[in-house]
Amino acid sequence: MHEGNHKSENYNRSMIILFLTSGLFLGWSLGANDAANVFGSAVGSKMISFWKAAIIASVFVILGAVFQGSGTSETLSKLGAVNALGGSFTVALAAAVTVYLMVKFSIPVSSTQSIVGAIIGWNLFTGNTTDRSVLTQIVTTWVAGPVLGAIFAVILVSILMKIKKKAGIHLIRFESYIRTSLIIAGAFGAYSLGANNIANVMGVFVPAFNLQELSFGFFTLSSPQQLFLLGGLAIAAGILSYSGKVMQVVGSSIVELSSEAALVVVLSQGIVLFLFSSSGISEFLKNNGLFPLPLVPVSSTQVVIGSIIGIGFYKGARNINFRLLGSIGAGWLITPVFSGLLACLTLYFVKNVFSVDVGSRNSTGTISGITEGSANISDASASGILGYFIIGVLIVGVISLLLYYILERKKKIEFQRSEEKFWKYLK
Amino acid sequence: MPVFKRTTKNLILKIDEFFDNVDLGLLVFREAVKDYLQKDMEAFERHVQKVGSLESTADRLQRSIENEMITHSILPQHRGEVITLIDVMDEILDTIKSSLDEFSIELPDIPPSLNRDFLNITEASVSAGEELVPAARAYFKAPYTVREKLLKVYYFESETDKITKSTKKIIFQEMKELELAHKNHLRYIINRIGDISDNAQKAADLLSAMSIKILM
Repeated sequence: MHEGNHKSENYNRSMIILFLTSGLFLGWSLGANDAANVFGSAVGSKMISFWKAAIIASVFVILGAVFQGSGTSETLSKLGAVNALGGSFTVALAAAVTVYLMVKFSIPVSSTQSIVGAIIGWNLFTGNTTDRSVLTQIVTTWVAGPVLGAIFAVILVSILMKIKKKAGIHLIRFESYIRTSLIIAGAFGAYSLGANNIANVMGVFVPAFNLQELSFGFFTLSSPQQLFLLGGLAIAAGILSYSGKVMQVVGSSIVELSSEAALVVVLSQGIVLFLFSSSGISEFLKNNGLFPLPLVPVSSTQVVIGSIIGIGFYKGARNINFRLLGSIGAGWLITPVFSGLLACLTLYFVKNVFSVDVGSRNSTGTISGITEGSANISDASASGILGYFIIGVLIVGVISLLLYYILERKKKIEFQRSEEKFWKYLK
Repeated sequence: MPVFKRTTKNLILKIDEFFDNVDLGLLVFREAVKDYLQKDMEAFERHVQKVGSLESTADRLQRSIENEMITHSILPQHRGEVITLIDVMDEILDTIKSSLDEFSIELPDIPPSLNRDFLNITEASVSAGEELVPAARAYFKAPYTVREKLLKVYYFESETDKITKSTKKIIFQEMKELELAHKNHLRYIINRIGDISDNAQKAADLLSAMSIKILM
């Protein structure tokens, strides 16, 4: 254990960045795939332009990750506190490869199931015991996620349909309300996605990192928050660079949703993910003698599928796609098993072929292992670099937004001119 | 955000104005045929001009509605059908205008004994169009009521067909004194009046399918 500590403190900054890459890759793939769950139907049906959706999703994913990402990460740490950077790297890599392969075989994949499998793989490899109560809690949530998604979808769709029928709002006005609601619900969905799923991306790195606090004057970022910010940026990069294609597929071919159904799906997904990542709601339920919801990362894809099935039930669809349900069930089993086996195999290679410390047995249980700091990275300059990096990203972000605004405005003015000409000559 | 823009309000107003034009066009057509049959050519020409201006306003509105729906991506899933509906309803106005132009240019000689039949055909055909307009408006506000409103369109369309058939029978089987060319001309004019209800039925079929789709 102390040997591991000694080794990891000697890691230089480039090694730290190298170790983080697997987590960042996982973040990128999560952004590319899961952002489609939030804005896919809206973009695919051309209710919102891709760039508008991508910018909103990116900003809110980062906000959710930084400000509400700690709860779910804690749960993953309870499952297995990966106490060496090499271990975190390998676990995240095994999870990322599993996600990639599952996507390739068209199984509705969840990065959550993948990372949980990989962590259990690490536990097995290093001889740590897996906390069964935490595991049971996590697995129960996987089933509860889509079921709750379906329940919320039925409630929301019935409310929305009643409003539509009774209010007698003009179809075009109703559609414009839906569009605005989609943007707001999408922002909420993206915030919840960031809050709930950041643990999958950065959770395994949290116990192994101990960065100095970063102060920006009006707010301070703790060590996990800095990691979450990095993970959030990776997710945002995934959204901006690759989610466009996935959104088109989700919106146009897999499920053809009406605009109201799209809103319901986004909202119910946002609510479910928010419930499983809000420590405030969990505390509230606990204080009122109710069953506290565990803070567990759930699969947004599966919640979305649950919500769509819920809408199908409400509309009286007789032929529910059992193959789709079956593939979710298969995902629950195949993903963690495959990811766990892959993690064991990769850990063996990384440890024996590259002689990298991948972690060791925690002496006083899995959680206390973190506090003892068996493999912490405490580098003051690493925090400094991260601070500059964040400022740099913020500046680039603001400049890009400004450029986007100017280009959009230019396009609008040119279009207006051409319109004026058209109507003038038509007269 | 779309809610805070005037685009939505403007588009709703334009669609309403378009329907008003179709409604008014039908009303003017009925009056114009009455004037023609009563040989009040001054009032008839005034109505022809009025229909001309209604038709050109409707064309302008149609282009503008299409434009706004596409550029602002309004009703992306139903846009194609709404645009087609407006196009088909615009055809009603086009038919009205071209029919009145033909009255005005060709000055068909309608025997006074057929005045009542011509008035009945016009009344039934125009009524089919007039019943279509509230159904089309209902599509946007209360799609649940569209199909029951369309029943009247189908009723008046079939009435038009019946009256048209009986009038043609009178012309070709009973009015031996008329030349064949004259008979053909009268048949052509009757068909043109009947085209209004045919177009209304075409729009009704489309509207009926649209209302089911939007409720699913």
